[in-house]
Amino acid sequence: MAVSEVLSREQRAASDKPILELRKATKVYQGVPAIKDVDFTLYPGEVHALVGENGAGKSTLCKIISGAVTLDDGELLIDGQAVNFSRPRDALERGIAMVYQETSLVDTMTVAQNIELGHESLLTRYRSLNIKAQILLQSMNFNVDPTAKMATLGAAKKQMVEIARALRAQARVVIFDEPTAALTPEEVLHLFHVIEDLRAADVGVIFVSHALEEALQISNRITVLRDGALQVTKPAREMTREAIVRHMVGREVVQTIYSRDGHHERHKSGAAMREVLAVENVTMGSVVKNMTLRAYAGEVLGIFGLVGAGRTEIAKIIWGALKRNRIHGGSILLGNRPIRYRVPAQSLRDGIAYITEDRKRNGFFERLDIAENIYLGWLAKRKGWRSLVSTREKRELAETWIKKLQIRAIDGNAKVVELSGGNQQKVVIAKSLVQDPSLVIFDEPTRGVDVATIAEIHQIIRDLARSGKAVIVISSYLPEVLALSDRILVARQGRIAAEFAQGEATAEEIMYAAVW
Amino acid sequence: MFIAEVLTSPQGPIKILRTGRSVQSLRGGLGLRVGAEKSQSNGLAAARQAPSDSLLSNTDVSREVRESRRGAAEVRRRGFFRLSQEQVVLIVVAGLVVLFGAMLPGFLTLGNLLTLVRNVSVLGVLSLAMGLVVIARGIDLSLIATMGVSTALTLQALSEPGASVMLAVAIGLSVCLAMGLLNGFVIAFVEIPALFTTLATGLAVFGLARTFFLSGGNLIVDVPERGAFVRTMGLGHILGLPVPVLIFAAVCIATHFVLTRTALGRFIYAHGDNPEAASLTGIPIRPLTMIEYTVCALLGYLAGLVLAGTLNAMDTQVIMTSPLIYNVLTVVVLGGISLVGGRGGVQSVVAGTLLIGVMLNGMTLLNMDVFVQQIIQGLILLAALVLDKRLNPRDEETVKQGD
Repeated sequence: MAVSEVLSREQRAASDKPILELRKATKVYQGVPAIKDVDFTLYPGEVHALVGENGAGKSTLCKIISGAVTLDDGELLIDGQAVNFSRPRDALERGIAMVYQETSLVDTMTVAQNIELGHESLLTRYRSLNIKAQILLQSMNFNVDPTAKMATLGAAKKQMVEIARALRAQARVVIFDEPTAALTPEEVLHLFHVIEDLRAADVGVIFVSHALEEALQISNRITVLRDGALQVTKPAREMTREAIVRHMVGREVVQTIYSRDGHHERHKSGAAMREVLAVENVTMGSVVKNMTLRAYAGEVLGIFGLVGAGRTEIAKIIWGALKRNRIHGGSILLGNRPIRYRVPAQSLRDGIAYITEDRKRNGFFERLDIAENIYLGWLAKRKGWRSLVSTREKRELAETWIKKLQIRAIDGNAKVVELSGGNQQKVVIAKSLVQDPSLVIFDEPTRGVDVATIAEIHQIIRDLARSGKAVIVISSYLPEVLALSDRILVARQGRIAAEFAQGEATAEEIMYAAVW
Repeated sequence: MFIAEVLTSPQGPIKILRTGRSVQSLRGGLGLRVGAEKSQSNGLAAARQAPSDSLLSNTDVSREVRESRRGAAEVRRRGFFRLSQEQVVLIVVAGLVVLFGAMLPGFLTLGNLLTLVRNVSVLGVLSLAMGLVVIARGIDLSLIATMGVSTALTLQALSEPGASVMLAVAIGLSVCLAMGLLNGFVIAFVEIPALFTTLATGLAVFGLARTFFLSGGNLIVDVPERGAFVRTMGLGHILGLPVPVLIFAAVCIATHFVLTRTALGRFIYAHGDNPEAASLTGIPIRPLTMIEYTVCALLGYLAGLVLAGTLNAMDTQVIMTSPLIYNVLTVVVLGGISLVGGRGGVQSVVAGTLLIGVMLNGMTLLNMDVFVQQIIQGLILLAALVLDKRLNPRDEETVKQGD
C-alpha cells in the first residue's frame, strides 16, 4: 500500500466524525476497575489496533463496545450520540459486530444456516438461504461452501463464516478478537485483504492482537492498554515494535527478591545440576511444536507465554493429561527413563505433581472440607488405597499443612468453597505436595489470588526449589516469572522462543520474544 | 434406634448450620446487600472476569466473589431451608404418620408399623445401592433388571436337583458381578453416559435371561423346597424383628461405614464432587467406577433374594412393569442424595425410604387405586427432582456430565 494512500485516508478520517467514541470509559468489577478512564475513538474506514498483555483490559473494552457488558462510568457514543447497550443485540442493531476468538458458531448446522442464525424469518427456504449465503461469501472472496456443515471446516474457514455473519448484519464496526491466532500465513494474508475491503467500504475495524507485526502492518492507529489504563494511541507509522513492547510492559512493580542460595553461582560455575526432566522435540498437533526443555533439581524454571503459546499444554503433556503425537511426538525423560502416561495417577506415582490453573474446575472438592481435600491427595498416593480412613491421621495431616502453608480458614472443617481464592489455591497446593512429588509444575499459581497471598505462594515455590525439588512455573504474568524463576523460557506459538537466565532478562526482552 | 444414630453422624446438618452462622457473623452480612439470585449471578460474572484482570483487581474480585457467593449460600440456607433435606423429609414423615394415624384406625398399630418397615426394606436396600452410584455422580437404571434376573436364576438353579445351594448363589452373584463390571467398564472406559449405558444393559440382560436361561415362558419363578434360606430372608423373624428389616439395618450400617470410614468411601464422594479433580488428584477413577456399579449390582441381588422370600417367588415381569425403579430414584433424590453427586449419605436413604414407605402403606390402607397411587408417586418424584434442582443448582461444569 502506498504511503500517500494511508496519509490521505488518515487525513480524511481525521476530518470525519468518529463512528464510535469512548470517553473516560470505566468498568468496575466488584469495586476494582478492569478499565479506567479510557478514551478510544474509531473513524469510518479506519483499522484501529488494540494491544496489551493478557488482562490489560482489551477484552473488557471490546465487550463494552459490543454490548456484552455495560459501562459503569463514562460514555459510549455512536455517531456522536450517547448510547447505552444492555445486550449484544442492541449493539448489533447499531451496526457493531464482533468476530470472536473462539468461534461462536453452531457446529451441526451448515454455513448458510450459521450466517442466518438469529435473523431467521418464520419460514426458511434452504435454497434461497444458500444462494444468499453464497452471494455474501463470494462478495468477500471467501471460498466456503454454504451447504457444508460447520464441523467439517477448519479454523480459517470458520473464521471466514464468522466474518460473513458479522457483515450479514450490515456492520459498520467490526471487532476482531485475535483473528490471526489460528490462521496460516496465507490465510492471514487473505484476512488482511478482507480487512482492506472493509476499510474501503468505510467500515471501522478494531483489531485486537498479540501479533504486533500484524498490528503494525494493517492498522492506521494503535492503542496500547496496560493494567486497564490507556497508555498511548498513535498512528501506526509513528510506532515501532520496540515502542509498543515498551508501552505494554512499562509497569513499575515492587519486585520481591527471593533468596536464591547462590544458585546462579553454581549454575555459572558449571557445577553439575541434577537433571530431573528432559523434554525433547515434543509435538502435539499444531498446539505444541518441537518443544524442548530441561528441568533441574533445586531450580525454578519459569515458562512465560501469552494465550495460545502452548505453555499449559506442554505441562499437561508431561503430566499425562494430554497426549503427545504417537509418531514424531518427541521424547520425555524423567531421570533417565522415558515416560508416556495414560492417566495422571501414573505420573503422580512417579513423583510429578501438576497444580492446575483452574482450581474451581478441577482443583478441589468443593463439598468437602480442607482436611478432607488434603487427606484425599494423601490417600490417592498411598499404596493399598482400599484401607480404612483414620480421622486422627487426617486431622494431623491437615494441621501440619494448614500451618506449613498458612492456610487461613474459619476452622479446619471449613468447606473449601467458602475460602478466599488464595486459601483455596493453598489447599490445592497442599493436596499436591502431600503426595511428596519430586517435580512440581505450577500452572498460573497466583491467578485470582490476593496480593498478600501471592507473596506467600511465591515463598512456598522458592522453598520447594530450595529443598531440592525441581519446580516449573507456568505463567502469563510477567512480574511473577521474573520474580520467581532461576531460568526463564519463553513460549510462543507452540515453540520455545527464547531462554534467559535470571538477571539476564528484562521485561521488555521477554515480552519481545513472546509476541509474534 | 439406629436411624437416630445415623442422623447425628459427623456429616450431619448441625455442623453445616453452625459453620454457616459463624461465616455470617464474621462477615457482618456484607454479601447480603443484594438478593440471592442477583448476588450469585454477579459472583459468577466476576469469577469469569477474574482471570483476565490485572493483579490488583484479581484480589478484590476474588474476595468479592467469595463474599457474594457466601451471601447467596447464606440466603439460600436461611430463606429456603434452615434444616437439611433429610430433616425436612423426616418432618414430612412425622406429619404423614399423624395424619394417617388420625384417618386410619389400623395405621398406628405395632403390627402395621412393622409391616410398613418390612415392606420398604427391599426398597431401602435398593436405594442404598442406587445411592452409592448417585453419590459418585452416576445412575444405575439396570438395577431392577439385575435384581430380577440374578434372583430368578438362583431360584431356578435351586429347583434343579443337581445344583447345590452354593452353586445357585454363585450363579446369582456372577450375574451381578458381570452386570456391574460391564456397566462400569462401558461408563468408565468407553465413556458412555451412565443413564444410557444402564438403560441398555438392563434391557439386554432381561431379554438374554428370558431367551436363553429361564425355562419356557416361565415368567414367575417360585421359591423351591431347597430355597428355605430365601424364605427366611423374606419372612423370618429374629428376636421378634422381621429379617428384612434387620438386613436393611445391616446394609445401612455397612454402607455408612464404607462411605465415611474407608478410603473407598471418601473416593466415591470425591468422584461425585468433582470427577476431573479426582482424576487429577490421582484417584483411579475408572477402576473406582467399576467397583461402584459392581457393589450396586450385588446389593441389588441381596434385595432380590429378600423380595423373592417375601413373595415366595420372583416375578421377572417386575422388571418391566413395576414402578420400583421410580420409587428407588424418588427415595434417593428426595432424601438428599443429589443427582449432581457428592452429596447425601445413608441418612438420606433412610429418610427417603421412610417417607415412601409411609406413603405407600397409607395409600394402600386408604384403598386407593393403584394407578392413582402411581400418579402420586410420579408427582412426588417430580417434586423431588425440582427440589434437588433448586437446592443443588447445576453449574457449567456439572452440565458437561451429560446425564
